[in-house]
Amino acid sequence: MKKILTLFVLTILTVSTVFANGTKESQEQFILGLDDSFPPMGYRNADNEIVGYDIDLAKEVTSRMGVELVLQPIDWSAKEQELATGNIDCIWNGFTITPDREKVVLFTEPYLNNSQILVVKGDSPYKSVDDLKGKTVGLQGGSTASDALNDAPEFKASLDDVIEFGENLTALMDLEAGGVDAVVLDLFVANDNIKRSGKDFRILDGELAKEEYGIGFRKSDVELRDEVQSTLEEMAKDGTIAEISTKWFGMDISVVGKN
Amino acid sequence: MTQLLIPMLEGTLISLKIFFFTLLFALPLGLLVAQAKKSKFWIVRKIVNIYIMIMRGTPLILQLIFVYFAPFYIFNTSLDRMNAAIVAYVINYAAYFAEIYRGGIQSIDKGQYEAGKVLGFTKAHTFFHVVLPQVIKEIIPAMGNEVITLVKDTALAQTIGVAEVFRVAKTASARDFSTMPLFIAGVFYFIMNGVVSKVFERIEKKLSYYD
Repeated sequence: MKKILTLFVLTILTVSTVFANGTKESQEQFILGLDDSFPPMGYRNADNEIVGYDIDLAKEVTSRMGVELVLQPIDWSAKEQELATGNIDCIWNGFTITPDREKVVLFTEPYLNNSQILVVKGDSPYKSVDDLKGKTVGLQGGSTASDALNDAPEFKASLDDVIEFGENLTALMDLEAGGVDAVVLDLFVANDNIKRSGKDFRILDGELAKEEYGIGFRKSDVELRDEVQSTLEEMAKDGTIAEISTKWFGMDISVVGKN
Repeated sequence: MTQLLIPMLEGTLISLKIFFFTLLFALPLGLLVAQAKKSKFWIVRKIVNIYIMIMRGTPLILQLIFVYFAPFYIFNTSLDRMNAAIVAYVINYAAYFAEIYRGGIQSIDKGQYEAGKVLGFTKAHTFFHVVLPQVIKEIIPAMGNEVITLVKDTALAQTIGVAEVFRVAKTASARDFSTMPLFIAGVFYFIMNGVVSKVFERIEKKLSYYD
């Protein structure tokens, strides 16, 4: 029995030493939560550094605010808990503003307009969204692509089937393999994918839904949100945002301070 | 290729860290739980039974989320990601290990305890010097199974943002529009489990002193 007790005490001791290094968070940090697999908004480049349009914006915003930017990769499906429990200070990663999310997240003004579009194979006969009657469509489950489809009930009802994938990438692979006839996803992601992968995909004319990207904060962090918002507006005025936008998208598509 | 392999090796180190810390704590804790399950006090037995039921009856992925996020709502603070992951794996695996230990301990004939008593050994002495060595020999195959599963289960730590090897592979495949990194991660797991299998084979051989 004594030995078991010693073992127990020893275990507790080692556990607590492992935990001792678990302290975190100083006042000056700005912890940005992102799914680091979302090009071109935020993703890992070949050197394993997190880069992207949102990241460039955040770097400039935080350096003007005089705080240290910390990039924290998170699991996208746990983003609301990460924010609510204080493990991150904001979600800034092509985060679409939706009424449901607005209930739990404090958004900035939209900084980028996005839309949900359909990608098909380059050699497929489809010309417009209407040609997809009776066909199968794939999308990333839990993304705003599925919201967009739900908001277009007639189109959804005309489809043969909707297949949900874990990631956009898997959905596009299935498209290439002939499993689905079209994939619903963000315009930015689609453009970036087609451009960089060089695969024979094209975007169908017409969009399924219009969307706006915003930066999400905790409901209680009004001050921080306002500071980020005003810094963004300042950057729009002096042309910094136009510069970053041109770098990533070839032209100025930002909507900060333009509404 | 090296640009891909270096981050993946870093991810593998994270996976290995989870693996080793889980074994380090869950192996002794499991033995303790197995002992507590035969406790004289019904309340202890009850608690241990409920603990094992919850750990084996709910998904590990949910336990990870719970360990990481729940303390915030209860104590208004939370563990570091890595520590939360290790705690979740330890309490989950300790439950499985406890049942394996129990199976092993029950397979030992009652006569051996009686013999220990006759020889004037204390209960603890009989357990640690007579019973436990035989138990270990008995449970090696079952343990091997669990440990191999643990290697693969480390991939679940990405749920709470731990950048283990599978997560690294996923971000790399999103960047390159290729599934190659995922297959490379598969090879990494295969190699790790190859080592684990070999180690268990060696232990089994070493312990088969009667054959």
